Amino acid sequence: MTQKIGVYICHCGINIAGQVDIEEVVKFASTLKDVAVARDYKFMCSDPGQDLISRDISELGLDRVVVASCSPLMHELTFRRVCAKAGLNPYLFQMANIREHCSWVTADRLKATEKAKVIVSAAVTRVIYHTPLEPQKVAVNPDVLIVGAGIGGIQAALDIANAGKKVYLVEKEPSIGGQMAKLDKTFPTLDCAACILTPKMSQVGQHENITLLSYSEVTDVSGYVGNFKVKVKKKARFVDLAKCSGCGECTKVCPVERYNEFDEGLSSRKAIYIPFPQSVPNKFVIDKSGSSPCRVACPAGVNAQGYIALISQGKFREALEVVRRNIPFVGVCGRVCNHPCEIDCERAKVEESISIRALKAFIADYELKAGREKATPVERTKEDKVVIVGAGPAGLACAYDLVRKGYPVTVLEALPMAGGLLHYGIPEYRLPKEVLDNELNYIKELGVEIKTNTPVTDIARLFEQGYKSIFLSTGCQESMKINIPNEDARGVLYALDFLKQVNSGQKVSLGQRVIVIGGGSVAIDCARVATRLGAKEVHLVCLESRDLTCKDRMLAQDMEIEEAEEEGVLIHPCLGAKGILLKDGKVSGLETVICTSVRDESGRFAPKYGQGSAPTINADTIIIAIGQKAVAKDFAEVERLPYGTIKVDATTLQTNIDGVFAGGDVVAGPSDVIACIAAGKEAAISIDRYLSGLDLSEGRPRVIERVKEVPKERVSPQPRAMMPLLGLKERRDSFAEVALGFDEKTAMEEAKRCLNCAACSECLECVKVCEPKAINHEMQDEMVEIDVGSIIVTTGLVPFDPTPLVQYGYGRFDNVYTSLEFERLNHAAGPTGGKILLKDGKEPKSVAIIHCAGSRDENYHPYCSRVCCMYSLKFGHLLREKVPDAQIYEFYIDMRCFGKKYEEFYGRMLKEDIRFIRGRAAEVLDFTIYKSELGKLVIQCEDTLIGKIRRIPVDMVILSVALEARNDARQVAKLFSISQDADGFFIERHPKLDPVRTMTDGVFIAGCCQGPKDIPDTVAQAQAAAACALSMISKGVMEIEPITSRIDEKRCAGCRTCEAMCPYSAIEYKTEDKVCQINEAICKGCGSCAAVCPAGAITSHHFTREQIMAEVEGVVI
Amino acid sequence: MNNFEPKIVGFLCNWCSYRGADLAGTSRLTYAPNLRVIRVMCSGRIEPLFVIKAFKEGADGVLICGCHPGDCHYSEGNYKVMRRVPPLKKMLEQFGIEPERLRVEWVSAAEGERFAEIVNDFTRKISELGPIK
Repeated sequence: MTQKIGVYICHCGINIAGQVDIEEVVKFASTLKDVAVARDYKFMCSDPGQDLISRDISELGLDRVVVASCSPLMHELTFRRVCAKAGLNPYLFQMANIREHCSWVTADRLKATEKAKVIVSAAVTRVIYHTPLEPQKVAVNPDVLIVGAGIGGIQAALDIANAGKKVYLVEKEPSIGGQMAKLDKTFPTLDCAACILTPKMSQVGQHENITLLSYSEVTDVSGYVGNFKVKVKKKARFVDLAKCSGCGECTKVCPVERYNEFDEGLSSRKAIYIPFPQSVPNKFVIDKSGSSPCRVACPAGVNAQGYIALISQGKFREALEVVRRNIPFVGVCGRVCNHPCEIDCERAKVEESISIRALKAFIADYELKAGREKATPVERTKEDKVVIVGAGPAGLACAYDLVRKGYPVTVLEALPMAGGLLHYGIPEYRLPKEVLDNELNYIKELGVEIKTNTPVTDIARLFEQGYKSIFLSTGCQESMKINIPNEDARGVLYALDFLKQVNSGQKVSLGQRVIVIGGGSVAIDCARVATRLGAKEVHLVCLESRDLTCKDRMLAQDMEIEEAEEEGVLIHPCLGAKGILLKDGKVSGLETVICTSVRDESGRFAPKYGQGSAPTINADTIIIAIGQKAVAKDFAEVERLPYGTIKVDATTLQTNIDGVFAGGDVVAGPSDVIACIAAGKEAAISIDRYLSGLDLSEGRPRVIERVKEVPKERVSPQPRAMMPLLGLKERRDSFAEVALGFDEKTAMEEAKRCLNCAACSECLECVKVCEPKAINHEMQDEMVEIDVGSIIVTTGLVPFDPTPLVQYGYGRFDNVYTSLEFERLNHAAGPTGGKILLKDGKEPKSVAIIHCAGSRDENYHPYCSRVCCMYSLKFGHLLREKVPDAQIYEFYIDMRCFGKKYEEFYGRMLKEDIRFIRGRAAEVLDFTIYKSELGKLVIQCEDTLIGKIRRIPVDMVILSVALEARNDARQVAKLFSISQDADGFFIERHPKLDPVRTMTDGVFIAGCCQGPKDIPDTVAQAQAAAACALSMISKGVMEIEPITSRIDEKRCAGCRTCEAMCPYSAIEYKTEDKVCQINEAICKGCGSCAAVCPAGAITSHHFTREQIMAEVEGVVI
Repeated sequence: MNNFEPKIVGFLCNWCSYRGADLAGTSRLTYAPNLRVIRVMCSGRIEPLFVIKAFKEGADGVLICGCHPGDCHYSEGNYKVMRRVPPLKKMLEQFGIEPERLRVEWVSAAEGERFAEIVNDFTRKISELGPIK
């Protein structure tokens, strides 16, 4: 097949001809196969150049065209149009890039000419295989998406909306306005930023053609030009925009203070807030960043941050309410909980964790002292009766939750008193009976019926009595034995029996010397009770180590151990009991053995004993406190595990019998109060679901998202409040409570140390005061899908953080500010109400403004940020206005005042007595040499105009920081298929001639996401982008390049290799025909499928195998 | 060997590397003239056959350039070519072609300078290797 190819070599003035021998290339081209004509011209892209090609096509009947000139990215479209106009299919054209890839990059003229020849040869051999292609025409959806609602996005949105087209404006922050909203005045006209911005913001808010999606983020973009499908995540605002009236009652009662990002951290705001007074939408938002670590750590999910925040405000009753939302045992847990919350407290990373447990005890005591009002019984809304066996913490927590759900609940207790081990196990000096009884009464008052002295052992009987569901929480009642000689001798007691007797008020005589065996809380309790009962010598023998940091540490809590030692308990760690010595059939002492290791690598209890001498300790009584186990003989129908614990489903706590649940120590073995409470709460959920006929396990266990990062940079250390203790003598003589509790002041001070990790503490005070009922703490993120035809990205910038510029002392010296901080300081609605003040509240009498902080600096940003000179001049003017007698210094490298009226503004500043010092400031110092420098910051610099090193003392330093690409620019770029330059800014299609379009058709960029620029330039680009979008809409139809792939179904073997290759899921397997098919509307033409098709059935249009192979042949000559 | 001018075929993706090469041009960075560029829409389009064809036709080296991992215009085409290269190198070795004659580099649209450096370096390496024996 012979063809008639026309080859056209462009001189591009001297751009190509200067380095390539055009004549030689033309001569060479005309010798190539099928070349009918080869010509050259000065500027092929000019009208005469284009005419030349077009004339040849019609006169010589050319059927292929090659133009050797610049990059196809520059003029491929131009020459395709020429061909089309002359009646030749535009895809029968090939471009040879002999400028960017040849003349401009090759030093040697001869070599450049050779290279040009090769490039032309490749184009000629390739073009032979070109086939005519027809572009696909697609309708353009007239709706536009704009991402980022700073001044750029706002302007573009208004322009398009005013043209009668629909705009979706997506903004990440709760309000639109962007960086401009933070500014005070704008250069060079000194307009008030708010005065010119806020009218536009409110227009956006009210415009019928603009759908504002504030506090939202684009998460996915699919489709193609004219027809994009966009997924937007509307982040939960927790405030219903339709209902919120913006009255601000909520913010008054919010106890949580947070860093105010709008004021650059110079002030604080509440967790429920409006970013600034003119916000659009002018509605509140709640700042939530997951769940606080304390809350996540608590097995019962008690909202510690919530009640601590309220304590810090002196709202003690409200705080108590927060705890009671989860558990009834406030005073109990405030005393005996093993507080996993404190272990995970973020404050511990600053100095020490918050005294969370003590604060909880404080609010319970506060109510107890003031007198608790009788609780109102909960209304019974459910018919089905529930019975709980065992009135310990698990059973009562379960009863508490169920009664609040409206169930009639009965708790059956075998012993005379309710409370389980809280009553019979824990001694009064740790948990006064008054505290426990108060909380038991509270549970009863809510409507829980507790029947004591009522042992039950039979499930069937309970069902017969009309109970519809049963919760077993009988705990561990049987003491474990050590199995050593003489364990049943007179004088040997078991911890549980001993404590039960003491707690029931029975008299127990111990003799003079007592040994307690065991290293847990119960053992410590026994030892301390023994001292209080008058024992002269109390020894505690345990396998574990006294070193509380090692893996074999004693299980009792640190404080308990310390207090026990203070009270005279002698701890003998790392010893095992070998045998009990008798005298006259009664205990006389204990033989011990050395214990070398308690737990194995996996943490399992596996004690190892060693040789060596171990002491023998004399004693009158030995108390064995090495653990308890469940009594296995009751409830024969219920399946048990080998140790006697009840077997349950780990998530739902259901036993082998339908409707019978179990939890607490009877399931888990001896554990702790809060774990038992948690089990009771889980059982309550299961029982409620069971009785409502719902699935028991759906959505359980609930996954709670722990807050990821808690900033601590601005936190100054403050020691943890210490718990005041009862005097040692009183402790030994009585059962009075050892921990005396915090007073109000201490409690509030301690609560103020809380970092409010999760932002909103979910204390729900705001809900109480919101009249329109607009607040919903359960609100979830919402996904919306929108269809648009074009997208404008105006995601803006961030100011450079100057902390790495250590020489300027930002973050180290109080009075070194960034430019944006100074903007806020100067702003009438800022933290100081527009007064320029130093951190100590005084007015600065001398100020240094350091230009180019982070700009024009190889170490940070090599580029010029373009606005800093001008805003620095503006600062000079504003300072002069507000502090007329101040000394103002500007340290600059070059003054870049390039815009309209900018140079004039500079001229004006020169007359306002501002000292301009040319030279990059070297350092900001706080040590002084001269008297005049006392108490000031000293700028050390070289004044290059006078050629001298100078030291200039000032009160305040402002760093004119660079503008940089946002840290999420990369994700945004990926989302919209935009390229980024080395500095992270988005790349436009052409730096001069196509500044707002991108390489992705239908996606436009404007403003600082493209590069640093001032407000006028941003607005101009935004309007340009709007015009581009509107021109697409008004055309109504877009042509899509026919560079897609197609499968020849006759050759397709149906192996589906291609299917996995396609990033757009454009390939579908047709089961009936057993072949794959490409949806060309979705295909973007990468050609990955064609590369892997083993049958060679896929044609990647315009990049076919034949074309590329031919090009390879042409290129290697 | 001083007169040896290697022929190097470069397969460049349209979105990052071709633009990077264009940027080298607009920035007037001169580099070795030995590279002959073939543009493909995505580096994922590059078939092993193209590379073998290039060597068969007499190329002394083949350079494949695509977007940086994670930056592919078509999300993951560059990963696809990345997976094809190691077995291809093994195959070349069996043909008696040193695997170093095939190189894969990631060049973004902003990396004109890097592109020029890569071409120079690769040309130097191929010159050292000499013609395919």
